Amino acid sequence: MSSTPHTIAPGEHALDHGYAHHPGGIIRWITTTNHKDIGTMYLWFSFTMFIVGGLMAMTIRAELFKPGLQIVNPEFFNSLTTLHGLIMIFGALMPGAVGFANWMIPMQIGAPDMAFARMNNWSFWLLPPAALLLILSLFVPGGAAAGGWTLYPPLTVQAGMGMDLTIFAIHIMGASSIMGSINIITTILNLRAPGMTLHGSLRPICCSP
Amino acid sequence: MKNRTGPGVVARLLRTAIALSVAVPGLAFADYEWNFQPPVSSMAVQIVGLHAYIFWICVAIFVGVFGVMFYALYRHRKSVGHQAVQFHENTLVEIVWTIIPFLILLFMAYPATKTVLAMHDTSAPDMTIKVTGYQWKWGYDYLQEGFGFYSNLATPLAQIENREPKGEHYLLEVDNPLVVPINAKVRVLVTAGDVIHSWWMPSFGVKQDAIPGFVRDTWFRADKVGIYRGQCAELCGKEHGFMPIVVEVKSKEDYAKWVDEHKSKLAAAADDPNKTWSLNDLVARGHTIFDGNCAACHQTTGAGNPALGAPALVGDKVVLGPKEHQIDVVLNGQNNGKMPPWKHLSDVDVAAVISYTRNSWGNKADQNVVQPAEVKTARK
Ligand code: HEC
Ligand code: HEM
Ligand SMILES: [Cu+2]
Repeated sequence: MSSTPHTIAPGEHALDHGYAHHPGGIIRWITTTNHKDIGTMYLWFSFTMFIVGGLMAMTIRAELFKPGLQIVNPEFFNSLTTLHGLIMIFGALMPGAVGFANWMIPMQIGAPDMAFARMNNWSFWLLPPAALLLILSLFVPGGAAAGGWTLYPPLTVQAGMGMDLTIFAIHIMGASSIMGSINIITTILNLRAPGMTLHGSLRPICCSP
Repeated sequence: MKNRTGPGVVARLLRTAIALSVAVPGLAFADYEWNFQPPVSSMAVQIVGLHAYIFWICVAIFVGVFGVMFYALYRHRKSVGHQAVQFHENTLVEIVWTIIPFLILLFMAYPATKTVLAMHDTSAPDMTIKVTGYQWKWGYDYLQEGFGFYSNLATPLAQIENREPKGEHYLLEVDNPLVVPINAKVRVLVTAGDVIHSWWMPSFGVKQDAIPGFVRDTWFRADKVGIYRGQCAELCGKEHGFMPIVVEVKSKEDYAKWVDEHKSKLAAAADDPNKTWSLNDLVARGHTIFDGNCAACHQTTGAGNPALGAPALVGDKVVLGPKEHQIDVVLNGQNNGKMPPWKHLSDVDVAAVISYTRNSWGNKADQNVVQPAEVKTARK
């Protein structure tokens, strides 16, 4: 590289746009590789799932408010408890953690973005279909999984296709979570700013180098 | 202003704390809806004691840690112009705060381990009872006495569906309670016939998962005559909340009397396996068996329950078809246990319930009578 200042010839600046251009609207969110965008989507997803799981919890508590059957029947009650557990853990807690990590880790350790920016996009976009499968399972014949979020066999073997949808959804969410964690670990190991020790970057609470 | 935040507040807080610490152990036994049920066995006494002991250690740690913290925050606040002391690393402090938690842990682990070992010591029992969890009832077998029975929920459906006021022991009452003698070490073998259940008797300090294909054991020695209540403690399907446990502890004499009565009652009711039954007797008996065992899924009307995948038995091709096939379905179950196997019912009961389905709700099967002997030959 020469040290002469680079001057832009007339018309040449148009070439810059190819790199800097970002799509707008929904396409921006679907195609984004920006860790803050992805972190934001993770956090909104997590919050949405928290509300959905919370509504289920509220229905559970409303049913238990008085002895006797009031608003839901026992099968559906068990489905609500099961989906509440699964949705809170796989839909709210785990994506919430990856969402915060996406927002904060690159900024804390001085990295330009997450290590695998495109995988980051993928690991988020696996989540909405998985959540849809879980919620869809409420409406299939036989109802959603009702054996508790621990899914112990042989009780789960008695379930209908709601269980199949649940298994599929958990696998997808698991894949998403593995991709998310690989991204976080690799970013912390490989993308620290020069001079930052591993020890420093593993202190997210005080966050001093 | 000044005297309000002064020692007056501290004294009042202290008084409240003392009042609370006196009240909490009192609460422990006052009302079991807020705490453990009153213990009725040495094991339960030990567990409640262990809980209280660990609880007070936690209270001491809580008061110690937050006391020092609040004191430090208050004493060194900015408004009195306190200057921060700057120092790094203090070997003595680090050793002390490693050793103290280690000691606390030891003081908790020792009694906890002793309790767990005592729970598992099932040696030298006075008697052994086998407990089997089913969807959704408990089976009790008195291994020495050589008899057994089922224990079903006794709360009427009308109470559950809010058509009648709830009774005193709503959902905690059964038709046949487990009966045990006082002060006898009862070894309990726990297993299950279909899915995982858990046999939980809080006032005896007993909770043991009932796992199909495994036999686990636990024990209790009840030391007070009375009726005690527990529940299934592992989600086991739709009627998990409707399979309570009731144990009646009797004096030695009353227990012996109960065993005798039970045996003579059984002898009177014993079925001759080779007897040929009349259709009316079979159907009458089958009606009770069906409502007690099958109606949970197939409904008393035989209409089935689509949510459970349980088909209507009215006009069903298996019920109207060849009887061999239906005997096979009822004995061995179907579709991975969605229709559970009923091997544990007697030959007469299986024959009766099948005959009942073949002659009820408008069903008119060609082969409408199944005799106990046919069930006996069909067993694998
Ligand atoms: C736990 C719920 C449950 C209970 C209790 C139950 N069943 Fe079933 N039963 C089912 C289900 C589900 C099926 C359908 C299985 C399948 O998908 O093939 C079934 C199928 C059957 C069938 C075959 C119907 C067909 O068309 O395939 C018969 C006969 C039957 N049950 C009789 C009984 C009898 C008699 C009892 C009581 C001793 C009983 N069931 C108790 C759930 C139950
Ligand atoms: C919105 C506030 C919440 C309420 C009111 C609530 C309420 C409940 C209730 C009533 C149960 C059933 C308990 C029982 O078995 O008797 C339950 C179970 C459970 N909850 Fe929550 N909960 C809330 C939030 C959460 C969160 C944030 C999480 C996890 C991140 C969570 C995870 C679970 C799990 C794993 C179960 C066990 C489910 C099962 O047994 O299958 N809950 N909750
Ligand atoms: Cu159970």
